[in-house]
Amino acid sequence: MYGENTFSHYDVLLWLTGLKATLSMFFLSSILGCLLGTVFGLIRYYRIAVLAPIVFSLGEVLKNSPVIVQLFLIYFGVPMYFDVILTPFEAAAIVLSANTTAFIAVICVASLESVDKGQVATARSFAMKETDILVHVLFPQALVVAAPLVVGILVNQIQVTSLISIIGVIDLTQVGHILNQRTFEPFIVWPVIGITYFVLSGTISYMGTRVEKKFRIPE
Amino acid sequence: MSDFLPYALALWNGFTVTFLVSASAILGSLAVGTFVAVVVTSGTGLPKILGRAYIELFRNIPFLVLIFFFFFGLPELGIFINAFWTGALALSLAVGAYVADAVRSGISSVDRGVYAASITYGLSHAQRLRYVILPLAFRVSLRPLGSIFINLILTTSLLSTITLNELTNSAKIIASTTFKPFEVYFVLLVLYSVLTYTCSLIVQTYHHRLTRHL
Repeated sequence: MYGENTFSHYDVLLWLTGLKATLSMFFLSSILGCLLGTVFGLIRYYRIAVLAPIVFSLGEVLKNSPVIVQLFLIYFGVPMYFDVILTPFEAAAIVLSANTTAFIAVICVASLESVDKGQVATARSFAMKETDILVHVLFPQALVVAAPLVVGILVNQIQVTSLISIIGVIDLTQVGHILNQRTFEPFIVWPVIGITYFVLSGTISYMGTRVEKKFRIPE
Repeated sequence: MSDFLPYALALWNGFTVTFLVSASAILGSLAVGTFVAVVVTSGTGLPKILGRAYIELFRNIPFLVLIFFFFFGLPELGIFINAFWTGALALSLAVGAYVADAVRSGISSVDRGVYAASITYGLSHAQRLRYVILPLAFRVSLRPLGSIFINLILTTSLLSTITLNELTNSAKIIASTTFKPFEVYFVLLVLYSVLTYTCSLIVQTYHHRLTRHL
């Protein structure tokens, strides 16, 4: 027997490190995903030539393949063909943002299409500019439809971030793995990690519901 | 060509393992989910609270954490099962929570009048569930269930982290022996798409059959 195989005070610091990685990955990929997703959604909504089919098929590939495979592909594949070295965190950020983008784009298209076509036609006959139609007619109504769906995606996103541990980012799951291997106490380590995730996603869904209520049309 | 054959065989083995573990987990999660949905909708008191707690807990904890918990925790309890069954068990329980939610919303969509009528016909609680409520509920829940099961098939890739030699793990081994990650993982994307599209095709056909009278 060598080394210390019980819990120490430093494990709290390790836990905090993991929490920081999980949260920063969550915020980074959610924000990038929402922005890019909206852009891609608009490209598909306006059926922009050449770009729209590319965006559509990229999205299909991202949605129909496991996130781990995408992580391996970027993390191991990109440095082999291009002259860049990706850190695990960078590779994970690319993959998770792309993934969120694919889902947000679908939501964006669906919620824009849920707005009555007649309204757009009316706005055009009033000679409103296309950008004005988008900002003043489409967006406010599409947000009502999109808000609960986006909240659902974000609550799921915190769980998806656990996958980045597989390519070596020291996030909460990886911290759990390290502690479990050292102490052999799966019944202490994994419940603690599980509860942390539970609290995180509970907080996000609570805040999400509050924001979502603001967008709701008063009855 | 002969260099290619052993890799194709390894991928095929991985493919069958992924298929088998997905199939067992789909059946398992359907059983767990339906049971919990019935308990949550028609139970009272403690069973109902436990059912809700189960759904909330398993929906909000990442699958990776659950699977490590099972993989390292079960032997600690003196239960020794291999990675395949640990994975199938963990997947059934994790996805069962999503299935329970989908079936629950299906059950609550069943018309109150139909329910009242089935009581008037003197059916017992079990008979009502088996012959009236669940068939109607499944017709509504089938589409959500389809996307849950597609997600399940993609989630089986996480079982590579607990040493199960399924599709992702086989591909990882091949990629590290051939140094051709792009090609290998591209084949992997195609193989997963085959599985998920088959699943969605089956769901669509079944949905069509269930709603043919409507």
